[in-house]
Amino acid sequence: MLKRLILVRGAEIALFIVLGAVPLVVQSPYALGLLTLLAIYGIVLIGLDVTVGYLGQINLAQVAMLGLGAYVAGIAATRYGVGIPLALVLSGLFCTAIGALLALPALRLEGPQFALATLSFTALCATALNELEWLTNGAQGLQITRPLLLGHALDARAFFWLCIAILAIVWLAMRNLMSSQWGRAFEALRDSPIATDAIGVGTYRHRVAGFAFGSGLGGAAGALYAFNFGYLQPQTFVYELTVILLLGVVLGGRKSLWGAVIGAMLVALLPNLLSSHLVFRAFSGIAFVLALVAGVRGLVRRKTDAFRALAPIVATFTLAAGSFLASNTEDWRKAIFALMLFSVVVGLPEGLMGFAAAALARLFRVAPPALPPAAPLDAVLPVRAPDGSVLLRLDGLSRHFGGVRALDGVDLTVKAGTIHGLIGPNGSGKSTLVNVVSGLYAPSGGELRLRGAALRGGSLMAAAKAGIARTFQNLQLFGGMTALDNVMVALRGAWRVPLPLVLLGLGRLEEWRGRAAALALLEFVGLGSEARTRAADLTYGAQRFLEIARALARRPELLILDEPAAGLAQPDILRQLEIIRRIRQRGITMVLIEHHMDVVSELCETVTVLDEGKVIAEGPPAQVKRDPKVITAYLGAPEPGAAIAASAPAPVTGAP
Amino acid sequence: MLTVTDLHAGYGLSEVLVGTSLEVKPGTIVALIGANGAGKTTTMRAISGTITPTRGEVRLGGSRVDGLGAARIARLGLAHSPEGRKVFGPLSTEDNLLLGGFRWLPHFFGFRRQARQALERVYDLFPRLAERRAQLAGTLSGGEQQMLAIGRALMAQPKIMLLDEPSMGLAPVIVQEVFRTIRRLKAEGMTMLLVEQFASAALAVADHVYVMERGRVAVSGTPEDLRRDPRVLAAYLG
Amino acid sequence: MPLSVVVQIAVSGALMGLVYALIAYGFQLTYATSKSLNFGQGELVMVSAFVSLTLLGTGLPYVAVVPLGILFGAGLGIVVERAAVRLALQQKTEGWILLTIIVGLFLVSFAENVWGRDDRPFPTPIPADPIKILGVDVTWLEISVAVGVLAIMALIEVFKRRTLLGKAFEAVSADRDAAELMGISATRTVTLSYALSGAVAAVAGILVSPITTVGPTMAAGLVLKAFSVAVVAGLESGFGVVLVGLVLGALEGLASLYVGSGWRETPGLLLLILALAVRPTGLFGKAIIRKV
Repeated sequence: MLKRLILVRGAEIALFIVLGAVPLVVQSPYALGLLTLLAIYGIVLIGLDVTVGYLGQINLAQVAMLGLGAYVAGIAATRYGVGIPLALVLSGLFCTAIGALLALPALRLEGPQFALATLSFTALCATALNELEWLTNGAQGLQITRPLLLGHALDARAFFWLCIAILAIVWLAMRNLMSSQWGRAFEALRDSPIATDAIGVGTYRHRVAGFAFGSGLGGAAGALYAFNFGYLQPQTFVYELTVILLLGVVLGGRKSLWGAVIGAMLVALLPNLLSSHLVFRAFSGIAFVLALVAGVRGLVRRKTDAFRALAPIVATFTLAAGSFLASNTEDWRKAIFALMLFSVVVGLPEGLMGFAAAALARLFRVAPPALPPAAPLDAVLPVRAPDGSVLLRLDGLSRHFGGVRALDGVDLTVKAGTIHGLIGPNGSGKSTLVNVVSGLYAPSGGELRLRGAALRGGSLMAAAKAGIARTFQNLQLFGGMTALDNVMVALRGAWRVPLPLVLLGLGRLEEWRGRAAALALLEFVGLGSEARTRAADLTYGAQRFLEIARALARRPELLILDEPAAGLAQPDILRQLEIIRRIRQRGITMVLIEHHMDVVSELCETVTVLDEGKVIAEGPPAQVKRDPKVITAYLGAPEPGAAIAASAPAPVTGAP
Repeated sequence: MLTVTDLHAGYGLSEVLVGTSLEVKPGTIVALIGANGAGKTTTMRAISGTITPTRGEVRLGGSRVDGLGAARIARLGLAHSPEGRKVFGPLSTEDNLLLGGFRWLPHFFGFRRQARQALERVYDLFPRLAERRAQLAGTLSGGEQQMLAIGRALMAQPKIMLLDEPSMGLAPVIVQEVFRTIRRLKAEGMTMLLVEQFASAALAVADHVYVMERGRVAVSGTPEDLRRDPRVLAAYLG
Repeated sequence: MPLSVVVQIAVSGALMGLVYALIAYGFQLTYATSKSLNFGQGELVMVSAFVSLTLLGTGLPYVAVVPLGILFGAGLGIVVERAAVRLALQQKTEGWILLTIIVGLFLVSFAENVWGRDDRPFPTPIPADPIKILGVDVTWLEISVAVGVLAIMALIEVFKRRTLLGKAFEAVSADRDAAELMGISATRTVTLSYALSGAVAAVAGILVSPITTVGPTMAAGLVLKAFSVAVVAGLESGFGVVLVGLVLGALEGLASLYVGSGWRETPGLLLLILALAVRPTGLFGKAIIRKV
């Protein structure tokens, strides 16, 4: 615990002390200017990292936020005499609002379309800054005198310290945010947007909030940018700077505060690197040797495929050769950026910091923070008294895909406290039924009622809020998160501290309680000892159990288990049955889709058989198994092999 | 024709196949039956290269094909009509069929004539497809799509055909029609590996049957043997 | 403002819009096979134009330069696919967005240093004299752009619809796994689609150069509007991009007429953001069904 504090926090404190102390030693105004730029870029990149790193979307609008923030602060200061603190807040809020407005439509899109939308926004902003001459002075540029800070004029050194202080505050706030439920939600929605919705966390709203927050940081940094340079031109905030900012995030390493600051350092110092022939030659030579060694090693050990090993070698070789051939490296600036970025993206996808973090973790084994004792299960998952009333009722539910009637008028009632089995041949509509009930698909017709209240169809969030939880046939775990985090992120009603307080670091108590609750659920499914294992590294059986624990974190009224035994080995199937029985003891109603008839017979009070999207039989398992319609659906039309169907009842008594 | 030895395959961490072995002799129909989730479809996908086996061997006419990738295996003469039919919805029926013969594109100067002949043969087998030749495949009925999927596989003039659940989601009448076609193809000497949920239908056409259970072959034999085997029933209704 | 002037500007704009449509069509070609597109497409337009210009400089006749330029564009498309797209597609990530941007950046710098930063005229045998069609002045150059754009798009559409290889494109985009089962290699199809897309970019470059002149930044504006067209029209319909391209081009002309020439870019960007808000998959795009 203490070791962790010293190493992790100590390194952070050391970074800021060193940064802050530099002006005491180095007096050159040029160096000071670079350091100030470093601090400003650090804030911009931390903001950009929210979308690029945490949300996993290529965001090309951060440069526009920087520009807008700069102009807002500049105009507020020159025209209305606003001071530095207020200008910072104004720029930050303005860009948060703009970010939210842009995100609302743009984040309904994924990947390329999102990148296109943000790129267009950047172009639009550049145009607007250029053309709104009455406000921005257009292409001539806007002259700004640095306002006073609480009545004091700031010299370059004081202003640098201000920037460093703000970077430190942003760093702290960001760390608090990312180690809270927000951070988990960001992580989760990148791994599986569908599951994030299904646990009621909400992919879309977190994306919008994250984008707006990152934009706000960009805006605040813009204010500092304006007051640092004292002169703004629209053509500063265009495509090229966008690429440079992306370079910073990717080079430094995504999802890392250290990565953002190291990236900022590289981006701020790059022009200097290029201006000296000697330094650049040495740099590119070293890069080439590193790529060569790493590539050859990867190839020999057969760890990397040919392209990933060779491409960085070729790129860095070009870089090194260019450094000797080109007479003026400044002219080739963009090509040099491109080659560096290319090598890093292909060869070092986690960035410098991702690489360093892995190495450091091997070097210093720091124990993760201790876990609290598990909370009592009754507090986390209170026992419901089954009242035998109708919990779920489907009336004439149907769902069509094009011309295919996947569900064709299904009536179904599920009584509270029971396990209701759902079986049927492949393609009979079981999965579609589950997907409609859980809100993934909107029904094409019919009605869906939970405890008598109509459910809005087609919204995973609405279903989750109403008390429906589900697992997925093809697991939808948050693979990059630990087992504990997978459960914590789904905890219902555990996260009440509002965002501003979370940023101030006041979410710790809630975090502690959440861990205890999640641990109780992990123990419930027998994964108490795996709390710290990444979900993707769990065995397949454990992944299935973890998905159930996550669903239970919703304290559901209705739990839908979509083939919980699929792909499991025999011992795991037995464990799974045991878990399901224990869930029943807690009074939770379940709908169980299952291929193994023996599992269904053993667990379910009632079984519904679907075929071609219709209910063909319903009743206790023993009765359903003898139903001729069911036998036909499974064994086929009575053709030459009818002997089987005829002799069916005899060997099929009692389950194992 | 096709020999599968100790095949292991799965999706991500879940290993669905744990040592499946089977053999298909030229000119015969081999059926693969078993409960849902037993690994029948995964076996087919691992053979045709849609998924790469993690262990084991697949031999087609004596040479190893595992790990080659679906496209190359298909060009070697293995036609796989996948589960769920997977017709190309936005293309017409005839285009779907012509694409089935894609593997011959680089081979013939007379590709067009060759394709025309193969097409006539498929239309002869499925007159319904001839009627719907210009219709988009996505708008065909389930049964027609199944005929299209089989026809498309036939267009490749394959050495062996893999048919995965040709009866899935179809009305009994249509299922019978599909199986009539399978019998006819067998009479013409086609080699086939057939996955079928409807055990009775599969047993009726097959020369040899493998029953799968939890990722490997549990029982195998002639249909006559299996009709009397209680384990076959157990595989279905547990 | 006399109506004839307004019409004149709208028509000129619309003809320019066809170039946006052609570049957007290049996005559609690769999107269909791989759900990816080249963010450095504009640089392909620019470099192809420069190469064609250089070839013209060696004394080759225009009719020989055009096919060579197109061939070069196709080759460059293949390079982009190999260097920036294939790895990301194999890993099922969206790394190609960043990587294609990077390749584009490299090409810009390359062009700046090899051909210089200045804009250069692109000689063409097609006369720039206006003729009157229905009372509107249209130059032969503009007509050549319109004819060229529509001809190449028609050619590719015919290829896609009438040849088996073209249908293989559609098959891969409809169902990649099933296409592989027919013996169609999805990887090769993606490469081919990038080659076609590069060829289309080269055509756009050769057609538009006589009007815009050739320079390292010539395509930056063009491609931005092509992005707008692609998103507004959706990434599926070739007809859609032509229509949206025409409308957008006309709107641009009118915007610069009524609001000021600096605002020329805005209709496209506004249209884009509006389309995203109203119909994220594009006017002619298909709805997405989420799968688990």
